Amino acid sequence: MKIYESAVRKPVSTILIFIGAIVLGVFSLNRLSIDLYPDIELPMLSVITSYAGASAADIEQNITRRLENSLNTVSNLKKITSRSQDNMSVVILQFEWGSNLDEASNDIRDVLGRIETYLPENADKPMLIKFSTSMMPIMYLYATANESYNGLYKLLDEKLANPLNRINGVGAVSISGAPKREVQVNVNPQKIEAYNLTVEQIGQIIAQENNNIPAGSMDIGSERYAIRIEGEFSQSEHIRNVVVANYGGREIRVSDVATVTDTIKKKTVEEKINGRTGVRIIIQKQSGANSVEIANEIKRQLPELMKTLPPDIQIGTLFDTSTYITGSINSLTETVMYAFLFVVLVVLFFLGRWRATIIIALTIPVSLIAGFIYLMFTGGTVNIVSLSSLSIAIGMVVDDAIVVLENIVKHIERGARPKDAAVYGTNEVWLAVIATTLTVVAVFLPLTMVGGIAGIMFKQLGWIVSIVIVVSTVAAITMTPMLTAQMLRFRASHTYKGMGIIFKPIDKFLDHLDNFYARMVSWTVTHRTMTILGAFLIFLISLFLLTKVPSEFFPQSDNGQVNASLELPVTANLEQTTSIAHRLERTFVEKCPEIKIISVSSGADDQAGFAALFGNSGTNAISFMIVLHDIKERKANHQRGMEEIGEVMRQEIAKLPEVVKFKVSPGGGGGAGMMGGSSTVDVNIFGYDFDQTTAIANELAAKMRTIKGARDVSISREEMRMGLQIDFDREKLATFGITTATAATFVRNRINGMLASLYREDGEEYDIVVRYDEPYRESIEDIQNIVLYNAQGRAIRLSEVASVVERFTPPKIEREDRQRVVTVSTALSGAALGEVAAAAQKEIDKLVVPAGVDVAMSGSVKEQKESFSDLFTLLILIIILVYIVMATQFESFKMPFIIMLSVPFAFTGVFLALWVTNIPLSMIALIVSIMLVGIVVKNGIVIVDFTNLQRERGLPLNEAVITAGKSRLRPVLMTSLTTILGMIPLAIGGGEGSEIWRPMGIAIVGGLTFSTILTLLVIPAVYSAFNSDKISTERAANRIDV
Amino acid sequence: MKAVFIVYGQSLTQPIENLLNKLEIRGFTRWEETHGRGSVLGEPHYGTHAWPSKNGSILTMIDEQKAEILINALTRLNQKTEQQGLRAFVWDAALGI
Repeated sequence: MKIYESAVRKPVSTILIFIGAIVLGVFSLNRLSIDLYPDIELPMLSVITSYAGASAADIEQNITRRLENSLNTVSNLKKITSRSQDNMSVVILQFEWGSNLDEASNDIRDVLGRIETYLPENADKPMLIKFSTSMMPIMYLYATANESYNGLYKLLDEKLANPLNRINGVGAVSISGAPKREVQVNVNPQKIEAYNLTVEQIGQIIAQENNNIPAGSMDIGSERYAIRIEGEFSQSEHIRNVVVANYGGREIRVSDVATVTDTIKKKTVEEKINGRTGVRIIIQKQSGANSVEIANEIKRQLPELMKTLPPDIQIGTLFDTSTYITGSINSLTETVMYAFLFVVLVVLFFLGRWRATIIIALTIPVSLIAGFIYLMFTGGTVNIVSLSSLSIAIGMVVDDAIVVLENIVKHIERGARPKDAAVYGTNEVWLAVIATTLTVVAVFLPLTMVGGIAGIMFKQLGWIVSIVIVVSTVAAITMTPMLTAQMLRFRASHTYKGMGIIFKPIDKFLDHLDNFYARMVSWTVTHRTMTILGAFLIFLISLFLLTKVPSEFFPQSDNGQVNASLELPVTANLEQTTSIAHRLERTFVEKCPEIKIISVSSGADDQAGFAALFGNSGTNAISFMIVLHDIKERKANHQRGMEEIGEVMRQEIAKLPEVVKFKVSPGGGGGAGMMGGSSTVDVNIFGYDFDQTTAIANELAAKMRTIKGARDVSISREEMRMGLQIDFDREKLATFGITTATAATFVRNRINGMLASLYREDGEEYDIVVRYDEPYRESIEDIQNIVLYNAQGRAIRLSEVASVVERFTPPKIEREDRQRVVTVSTALSGAALGEVAAAAQKEIDKLVVPAGVDVAMSGSVKEQKESFSDLFTLLILIIILVYIVMATQFESFKMPFIIMLSVPFAFTGVFLALWVTNIPLSMIALIVSIMLVGIVVKNGIVIVDFTNLQRERGLPLNEAVITAGKSRLRPVLMTSLTTILGMIPLAIGGGEGSEIWRPMGIAIVGGLTFSTILTLLVIPAVYSAFNSDKISTERAANRIDV
Repeated sequence: MKAVFIVYGQSLTQPIENLLNKLEIRGFTRWEETHGRGSVLGEPHYGTHAWPSKNGSILTMIDEQKAEILINALTRLNQKTEQQGLRAFVWDAALGI
């Protein structure tokens, strides 16, 4: 018994199997977590080696180059970049997307094990660090305070950070910008010199006084007593009274030579949120944890936690990846629902029968739910890609069911009992249905094999659409016949009774349409040359249009986030930086009413973790994090998008001459996921000579600033920094018996301070730092006046053994693929990646490049080129596959060729739609064009197959073409319209994140609409041109004359 | 005794079997899938791409009275579902063994 026969004969089993599948699917859906994109593992590993005391050039020569040469042998390596700076070498290894990083890190460890002995002796062991998207903060909270500001760190650490850390999945909670308590012993150098004291001595005495020492225990009678000496300071003021020396019979106390203040540490970072001083709390997740779940839990706990804090502390959310994720997913879910509705309406419109429509509509949930089961078993998430896949599939899953149902209905109308009609009706079409499904699968399955970042994104799409379509076919040949047998009854023609009255005009309209189309086809088959040439001309024009459509790598989306980072000259101190930050903050708020929260941090905090690892750490750095009002709210008030606001910010920042370097990144650059941020055009300048490459970089940067759409042009190599350098005279030092290291420690303890001991209070520890009082460390003379003591206790002034000079420190040395490199990069504003890249390439061509220097594009442009060429290969592969599937189906070389002629028109439609809507050609639009190959040939198959059938039934060529066209118009229109209308909600967009999927929707709608119309007109003409009315030789041979 | 050869569109398989049961005709031979076309009207039943529908055929030997009842019943069935295609042929027959 065939599968469809069993299904019809055993309705209970069939229904229950499908209900079982639905239950499993709903169960899976509930267990699936939500994310923005499929899980992307950043294929990057880095090797960090520190070598104290070595200059950037030494590090490059002795560590970085050796590491690079050995690490280059690791397999799957795509790119190797490095940064050599004073004391440190960072080598970053970038792998192909989707590589196994565990394997790679083992390989790297092997290499490091081998090379370790060749590294300089004093260098530390190289450390292997794995980057992960989980290092990206998932949430920034802010806390502002008035009276409690000084104690903010302790309060937040205990009452907020610790409880939050206990939430499942939270990786780290760090507090940035909070003031920290410190006990300062500020020494007056003149006074200690007078008493022959040193900073070190004072520090040591404080350390020795501040001690708790257990002294054993002792039995007194029958009891045992522990003996303890509690010398620790119970109050910080006690430090003042510590005796540090005896001078002339007098006790010298700390307070005699220094001031002791229990205060907050000198800040290196200043955070302002909406103009109030505050702190930022950065929350990172554990690898593999779900951002949305964590964020929800945090938001649930926050109100409780806030109650335990003093009332003047206000806590709010500065940035939360989860709101954007849930917003995007919700708006996409909405579009899927609309798509479902549209598809059902189209089916009802064409079939005109409620029961038939219900039978068809039921295949949609049954098939889509298979997608969720797949996601659960592969550990996937509900994300933009998986939901878009469902949206694409929704219009296609009904096609097979429609074909099966129509044929069964035909049998019922001929008088067969529904049960028999269901079995025999399905029997006639089930092979054809499977064959058309194969063509679709031939397109979508190869999508799972694309390499690179595109592969990661579209793997899910390929699998989901393939699985959903296959399941829909299975449902079409089991569930549909079963339901038809149970639900449909014989009815000769529509009675138009009751509600059915509305179908009367529809039927009339469709009849008119059929006749109109038949007349059109009879015109095209008699004017074949004109039709074919006309279509060809349209295709050529569209190719010309393509040159007008700009290209980009990935669409940017408005997530209501604008970040900016600025750099002042290196010499700027925190006060100066803060005042500029303030000025900018006020201007931004004034000029952009769209701003909801503005947070600015001046300087950089060494505690801030991720930011400090990659950002610039120095008192000269300013970073803005701006949250705009909700996009819907902004649209309702006719306010600007994030790009425009970014542009305003750029203009304002550019007005300040103090700012040497800045970058405004609408979209937050990274925070919202890999693709949320902006793309950049990067140009690499390779070459060993610093001066040459810097000169070229400057020249190129100047030219790139003139390119329309280029913003924030920056050069990766820092400008030479001015620094103070102490040059010790070794011979003189030697005569006094001091080593450079001792001398350097002396200087460090006086300027930076000596960590003498820890002051304990309420279980917390605070640093006790001894150093020169601030007025004595403000000039070069102050350094020169530092007194060094040798082993004999003889005092030597620093100026006697060393000179202090101002000098440029050499920059960091960056390398890529084992060559020194400078990168000139530009962000984009109001222009597509492709345009700016082309303009930059023109400028590069104009450059006069000396020998030994190479200039090449890199960054998004390079990725785009690679992805585009990957996709092109994929397109060829898919066309071949589809051709093979169709050729076997028709057992002909000619028929698939005729059908494939509809493919170019799909591309025409895509280009046209992009051009009309002014959307750049992105990777998504290209992927869509590839998918369209599978979708549009379906129409061709239906028409050509039926024309063949008419010819086999003995109709003359042109008559067959016209009859077939007339009778297949409705099925073609129906399957095309379900897909087109299913995509319209996606194309209209509007919700959060819609920028990402709008191009997909627009491209499918455009491509499919255009190709359907042209297929309907051109395929009949081409068919008639490629076949002839003459009887084939085979048939002629078989003819027997009577 | 009469031989009755019934050729019908495949969808009529079940109704005809029911009919034979109702008339208590026990013996028959059935070909589930046969191909052919009608002499006057209707589409060919070839089971091909162009003409996908198929026939089934039954040959049964029955008494003369029963044959008459059967033919009448088949005629009514055919009138009800004309498009399915149904033909029956009757001729004399004798029992061999």
